[in-house]
Order: sequence, then structure tokens, then C-alpha cells
Amino acid sequence: MIKLNNIVIGFDKDLFAVDRVGFQKGKVHLLTGKNGIGKSAFLRTLSGLLKPLQGEISLDDKALDKYSDRELSTHISFVPSSQKGVSFLSVDAYLMLGRSNFTNMFGNASEEDLKAVEKAKSIFGITHLSHKHTNQISSGELQLCAIAKAYVQETDYILLDEPTAHLDYQNKKRVYELLKQISIDQNKGIIISTHDLDLAFKFPFNFYLIKESDLKLHEIEGFNDIENEFNS
Amino acid sequence: MIGVKSHTVLLFVVFVGILGLSFFGLMLGDIPTKFSDLYPALLDYSSQDINQVIIREIRLPRIMMAIVSGAALSVAGMLMQTLFQNPLAGPYVLGINSGSSLMVALGVLSGVGFFNSELGLIGSALLGAFVFGLFILFTASFLRNQIGLLLFGVMLGSFVSAIITILEAGSQAEALKSFALWSMGSLNNATVEQIPMIFSVFIITCFLTFFIIKPLNILVLGEEECRLMGYDIKKIRILIVFITALFTGLITAFCGPIAFVGLAVPNLTRMLFKTQNHMLLLIANLLFGAFFLLTCDITIQLFSDILLIPINALTSLIGAPFVIYILIRKLR
Repeated sequence: MIKLNNIVIGFDKDLFAVDRVGFQKGKVHLLTGKNGIGKSAFLRTLSGLLKPLQGEISLDDKALDKYSDRELSTHISFVPSSQKGVSFLSVDAYLMLGRSNFTNMFGNASEEDLKAVEKAKSIFGITHLSHKHTNQISSGELQLCAIAKAYVQETDYILLDEPTAHLDYQNKKRVYELLKQISIDQNKGIIISTHDLDLAFKFPFNFYLIKESDLKLHEIEGFNDIENEFNS
Repeated sequence: MIGVKSHTVLLFVVFVGILGLSFFGLMLGDIPTKFSDLYPALLDYSSQDINQVIIREIRLPRIMMAIVSGAALSVAGMLMQTLFQNPLAGPYVLGINSGSSLMVALGVLSGVGFFNSELGLIGSALLGAFVFGLFILFTASFLRNQIGLLLFGVMLGSFVSAIITILEAGSQAEALKSFALWSMGSLNNATVEQIPMIFSVFIITCFLTFFIIKPLNILVLGEEECRLMGYDIKKIRILIVFITALFTGLITAFCGPIAFVGLAVPNLTRMLFKTQNHMLLLIANLLFGAFFLLTCDITIQLFSDILLIPINALTSLIGAPFVIYILIRKLR
């Protein structure tokens, strides 16, 4: 479980505070809030890229900053909001980079690594892109590849910053369904930020809102809280 | 995996090409030598035979330097391009050579004893390359623009050449002449006795590069991805700059500045092999780099009756248009 206790999120200046919250495994946790309020900063803090300005985050009852970067990469994977395609980097090679904790010191793939990549491709429906270069596919396709890359990393927690931003409606729905499935079947904790609320609320996720009025993270029950926030 | 076989075949062909060109180069020169002189010159040497002396003392070091320089500069270019995620980066354009040049100029032109020694020369060239490499790295941390960084490198080069010009103006004719020859770039400077040392440093540096293959592969996705995968990006960056400085400084100390090899060859290999797998790229750059500079050297030897072209001039003649081609492709 990722636990936060009296945390202040931000970089350079404070963005918002988190009193007390815990993200357990086996669930999809969905985070929303107005543009610029600090959703990305929040996920980056959980990923270890940013330090909280105040307070301590713990992962499985051990402080996050007590983990080495390498250890952390075996527990938490993070997909930033925008991906850039790289010329001459095939989707297969890209996904294999997600297996870095498993491949040998030269990055050579084992049978198991190849299987994991094949499985991820079929789950996310990107098998047909295998040999395409990552700068030659659409941003939606690249986003699916990025999620698949986090999936093959086989971490307990997956953080996704607006994973559905570039996807069409069908793929948005598919991604949410897949994330729900993965969280239950493989007992993973998935934390995502999104603006696709209408769709997301059809799923049994845990919802969190960063309120502008008090600049705090709140766990919310119904859609009303959201409407209040965005209509204000 | 598609194309693994054809990649191996291509690399093998280039390898055979290097061997062939090397033997051809050993035979090539103003004084005709027989093929039968090769074997004793290399393995059963007698300093009494003038043909053997020519092959062993003059041609062999030159061929070896062509191979090592081409390979080292190409790998250095690959490292810079991956580190800065910029296909137009290279040890020469980023001004890493300039660091070596400045230090060598200070040594040769000032005439201070230590710098004129062999060790002093190599040491100062390596140090100059490393310091300038760190300087570029530091600049890149706030100058995010790709073209901006290159302009910075070019300006660094101009600044250094201005200092060198001032040094030249105030130095003795003899020192001036030896520095001018050095700055034209030449594969002839190393002696056969220095070759084992140069090769050792080269091999060790290649070995170091093999250890960072995996972070290099991830680095094409950006430094953040590298951190998320558990690599200490600060260490990796400095290690890359260190390796680049070893390659560049070593070659610059012995051969003078050789332009564009480190820019053109890594781009060529990425285009040919269509990969970002740095294991393959590393091997390809070693082989293609050696092949390219060997070809340049042999071309120079073939035309040496008519005109002696400095190696730096020839690599620029071929490399600069190629870079312009990449620029147009990229910026269009």
C-alpha cells in the first residue's frame, strides 16, 4: 500500500496538500482536478521523480526515499502524460525497454521477456504495430504502447498520467476495462489522473478530487462533488 | 526478429573490407613493395630490409591509426547523439575536440617541457576533452534547444580557435610549424612503438562502453525514463562524457582534429540498420568508422603524387554535405 501522511505536493512552490490517504493494491484509483492544480506533480511525486515538499510517503510500510531508484523501478512504474516517438525504435524494442529489470546487462531478451512482450501486445491490441517505428505511429497508438510498456515492467503499482488523453472513445473504454481487469486479476494498484470523467464514473474505481477551494486531496463518492468543483 | 541475418552479413562484409583495405594500404606508397615483404615486416621483422622498414615503421602505424581513429570518433559521436538526443551532435561540432586542441596548443606553443612530452600531450588532450565535455553537459542542462546546443558548441570552437591564434602569433617558428601540422590532422604522427599503448586505451574504452549499453538503450527515451528504470542518470551522463573524452582526447592528441567522422558515421549506421539497439550500433560504428577513415586515408595515398590532402580536409569534404543532408531532412 502507498500511504501518504500530511504531505505537501509541489515543486518550487506548494501546489496542494494531502492529509491522509492510502492507495491499496487490487484497485484502480482515479484522480481528477482542474488543469494546473497539480495532478501530474502528484503522480511524479509518487513515482519518486519529485520529492514531497513536506511529509513522508511510504510504500509497503517503508519510506519511499529509503528505496533506491533500482528498487523503486521494480515496485512502481510511471507513464508520463506525453510520449515522444523515437526514430528507428520499433514498438517491439520499445516494449522490451520496459523489461529492463529482467533482461541481462546488455539488454538481451530471454524467452520469458519475449513472451511477456507478446502477451502485453495482444492485451492492448497493438500486435500489428510490432515492427513499426515509434515515431511512425499515432499519438493514441503510442499511448497504448506506453501503457503496455509499464505493464511488462510487472510492478505492483502503475501510475498513469492522463492515459486516455489521445485515445478515441472505444480505446478509452478498452483501457479503463483493461486497467480494472489488471488491477483485480494481478492485484495491482493503479493510480491514474484523467479528465474523462463521464466514462470513468461508469467504472467501480476509487475517486479522488483535488479541490480548488481548500487545495486538498479529497476522496469522493459521487459525481455531484465533481460537478460542484467544475461548475464553480 | 527481421534482418538480424542481413545485419550480420553487412557487418561481416565491412569487417572483411577493413582487412582488405589494411593490406592494400600496407602495399600502397611512393616506394613499391612486394606482397612477400608483408609477412616478414609484420611478424619476422628485420630492420636491415628497407622495404620492411617502410611497411612497419611508416605504413603500419598509419593504417592502425586510421582504424582506431575512425572507430573511436564514430563511437564518441554515437554517445554524444544518444546523450543529447540530437542526431547533429558529435565530438567535433560540440567543441569537445576544441578542449583537446586548446590544451595541446598551450603545450606545444608555450614550449613548457612537461606538455611537450608524450605523456603530457596525451594527458592534457584527455583533460581538455573531459573538461569541455562537462562544460557542454552543464550547458545542455539549461539549453534545451537542440540547435542552440550545437551553436554553443560551434561558438566554443570559435572562441578556442581565437585563443589559439593569439598563442600562435606569439610563438616560435619551430613550435608554430609543428602545431600547424598537427592541427591539419594527420594519421602519420604516431610511431609504431606508440601503437600498443594507443590500442590499449582504445580497447579499454570500448570495454567501458559495453557496460553502458543498457542505459544507452533507455536514454533514447529521455533522461526521465532512465531514472524511472532505476539508473542514476547523473552518473550515467558523466560516464558517457568520460568515455567520449577518452576516445576523442586520445585521437586528437595523436592525429589532431578530425572533423565530421563522429557526426556522419553514427547517423549513417542508424539509417542503415534502422535500430536504436546500442549493442548493434556500437559494433556497427566501430566497423563503419574504421572502414570510413581507412578509405579516406587510402584515397589520400592514391592522390599523394598530385596533391597531399590533409585527412581533416577530406573528412570535412565528405562529412559536411552529409550533415547538411541530415539537417534538411530533419528541419524540413
